[in-house]
Amino acid sequence: MRTHLSDPGQDVSNRGGPVARWRPALVAGACLAALSWAGQARAAAPAAPAACQALQAQYPQFKGKTLVNAINPHTPGYEALDPNDPSQYIGFDIDLGETIASCLGFKMAYKSVTFAALLTTLQSGQADIVISDIYATEERAKAADFITYSKVFDGVLVAKGNPKKITGINTSMCGAAAAENTGYVEVPLIQGLAPACKAAGKPEASIQLYDNNASCIQAILAGRADTYVNDVNTVDQAVKAYPDKLEKATAVTLPYSVGIAVPKGKPEFRDAVMAALVAIQKAGIQTTLLKKWSLGEENLETPKLIVSK
Amino acid sequence: MELFLHYLSLPYLLRGIGFTVAVTGLGLAGGLVVGLILASMQLSRFAPLAAIARGYTVIFRGTPLILQMVFAYDALPHIGLKLSAMGAAGLALAANEGPFIAEILRSGVLGVDRGQVLAGQALGMTPSLLMRRVIAPQAIRTMVPALGNESVSALKNSSLASVIALEELTLRSTQLASSTFDFFSIFFASGLIYLGLTGAIGAIQLTVERALDLDRPPGQRGLARWLRWQRSSPAATAARPDAPALAAAAAVAAPAISQARAAGERAAALAGHDVAVRITALCKNYGEQVVLDELDLTIRKGEVVALLGPSGSGKSTLLRCINHLETWDAGQIRVGGRRLGYRPDGQLMSPRDLANERASVGVGMVFQQFNLFSHLSALENIAGPLRWVHGLAPADAERRARQLLDRVGLSQRADALPRHLSGGQQQRVAIARALAPNPSVLLLDEPTSALDPELVNEVLDVIRRLAIEDGLTLIISTHQLRFADEVADRVVFLSGGSVVEDGPAHEVLSRPRHPLTARFLSVMGADAPLKVGS
Repeated sequence: MRTHLSDPGQDVSNRGGPVARWRPALVAGACLAALSWAGQARAAAPAAPAACQALQAQYPQFKGKTLVNAINPHTPGYEALDPNDPSQYIGFDIDLGETIASCLGFKMAYKSVTFAALLTTLQSGQADIVISDIYATEERAKAADFITYSKVFDGVLVAKGNPKKITGINTSMCGAAAAENTGYVEVPLIQGLAPACKAAGKPEASIQLYDNNASCIQAILAGRADTYVNDVNTVDQAVKAYPDKLEKATAVTLPYSVGIAVPKGKPEFRDAVMAALVAIQKAGIQTTLLKKWSLGEENLETPKLIVSK
Repeated sequence: MELFLHYLSLPYLLRGIGFTVAVTGLGLAGGLVVGLILASMQLSRFAPLAAIARGYTVIFRGTPLILQMVFAYDALPHIGLKLSAMGAAGLALAANEGPFIAEILRSGVLGVDRGQVLAGQALGMTPSLLMRRVIAPQAIRTMVPALGNESVSALKNSSLASVIALEELTLRSTQLASSTFDFFSIFFASGLIYLGLTGAIGAIQLTVERALDLDRPPGQRGLARWLRWQRSSPAATAARPDAPALAAAAAVAAPAISQARAAGERAAALAGHDVAVRITALCKNYGEQVVLDELDLTIRKGEVVALLGPSGSGKSTLLRCINHLETWDAGQIRVGGRRLGYRPDGQLMSPRDLANERASVGVGMVFQQFNLFSHLSALENIAGPLRWVHGLAPADAERRARQLLDRVGLSQRADALPRHLSGGQQQRVAIARALAPNPSVLLLDEPTSALDPELVNEVLDVIRRLAIEDGLTLIISTHQLRFADEVADRVVFLSGGSVVEDGPAHEVLSRPRHPLTARFLSVMGADAPLKVGS
């Protein structure tokens, strides 16, 4: 039994307002076991385009449902708590998800998990969709189907003054300690430097694995790690928070796309989400959202499917 | 500092406490249930149950809680069991706490003095009654500190539920830190909240310990009263010195017995009495060692029999076999014509039926180490079993208990705990307790051996009175030769698990026929030689 204590997105067209109130309550007595929690988003999604009416007619099975979006809300700009009202999640991914939900007529609830647990949570059925700045790689496509929506630009976060003179994911990282989150695509990229480092006669880069951005940033602030490579916007946010202590060494392009993950074996849902995303892009809504969150319009990418063969 | 206070009072974080407390509560409550089941399986008589419990313990105590949480949350849905985050976290925490709590319960139960369990069995208490009235009340007291510890640990462990999306304090803190970058203010605030919660558990633990403390004055005891089932009334405090009672008893005893002539008449009268206990060809081994070897013994109603013999001659074992506290390998024991502990078809009874039969046949037992229920007052040691086993009304049980305490000269110590009584006083209470249900036979297993010499007489005086005034059938194993001579009708000398010599007390003690008896008596009686009389 699942009890949703929150009532997300009562009126998604009410832009910017406190749309729904998060009502925490403890169900008394024996019902405790059944208690679950789902956070909710401050829905700031623009009105759904006209094409959505047709999609709702085509996919009526999602209308009125509440679906669970598993997120790793440690990435300000994409998904994080609203510092002014921690009961709400905000960010580009949140807005995009809410727009897709409103386009298809369902409501979105949120479940906060570690980055490495995003796809596991989806696979186990504890979540219905993952929109959490996750890169759609072939490897991950074995666990879920992906609909891509954004290009990947990474930033290289270093301590102020870049003492190790790191210039990207290259031999300048040899011998450095890199903080990364478990399951991040940057991990194998940095590990892949080993032969090049060896050839250059330098020690390998070491990797410290954490489970959220905050811990990675702390690792640099505490002097434990020399660098943290992640989405450029995340890196910019960190530099903004600690302008005296951190800086972005450089930006790099990774050969990946950011994707929405949906469970395997649910082609109708996948197609519906993809169609909604296409409609949203065509209506210019994604561009608006990218601007709103200062993410750069060049991130936009035409949706494509990444499924394992 | 300002930020710290801001986060300390932030409703978002404070609401996380609810989830933390709820999952901890679920884990502890479920863990207690699992622990009770595991502990009873491990303590059970059936080996396969214990093995299953052991296996469970190995797995759930031996794997990290974080894996168990992820398993409950992400793996169980694959077999169709989709629990909420709270449900999965509660389940995993309960499954993990279970073995730890089981060990606490088990050590609490095993920590209760084995002698008290034996005494309860001898009083006819069934296993469940023993658990409820004797073992649990004492075990709970010793378990409180460990359970407090376990609760604190469960509360801290609940933070691991953050990996399975349970919005408890830790997950909320890390999310908030990610979005605000105020790491330290937030973690200090949540750390302080955790401290508050664990502090509260510590306070509860101390309160419970205090409330259960038996040594606090009765008025402030609260919970302890509930666990002790003590009843006190003004009459209990009426002081009454016990010296006169003892003196009176001694006065009655001395002249009554030493008359050989009277003894002869008594022996003749006893010979016509019904058989109280008949033991035939009793054999018992501990592995290679023979403890009882084809032992035969018949005891008539009203007879007072002293069992003598060196240590290891089988005296205690024989006494324990008579009320079936021990099993034996061959032979028969009949008490009042009944084979105690056997069904009509010759099969062994269940422990529960055996207990009920002990109560109905009425074989009382007094132990060397007294074995009083240490959490109960002197009065309750006597009145409790009367209510629980024999179904007496509380008022009747108390009246009977006070009457018996009066007889053993301890009415003014009715409300004292055993640990506040001297050894002699404890043994007198134990005798009163054994007498309370009016047993047909009373077994006394070296009743004065554990006493300081100056306390021996007060106990012997009480026994002497029982023998003389009540005409009770008594079987006493003892090393007190003079006492045996005064009180016993018959002396049975055991050696190597069989009867070596058996005859009228004074005769055997003064003119032993068997060399083993003679040697034993000369060693024992060296410092207090018996008068060889008429």
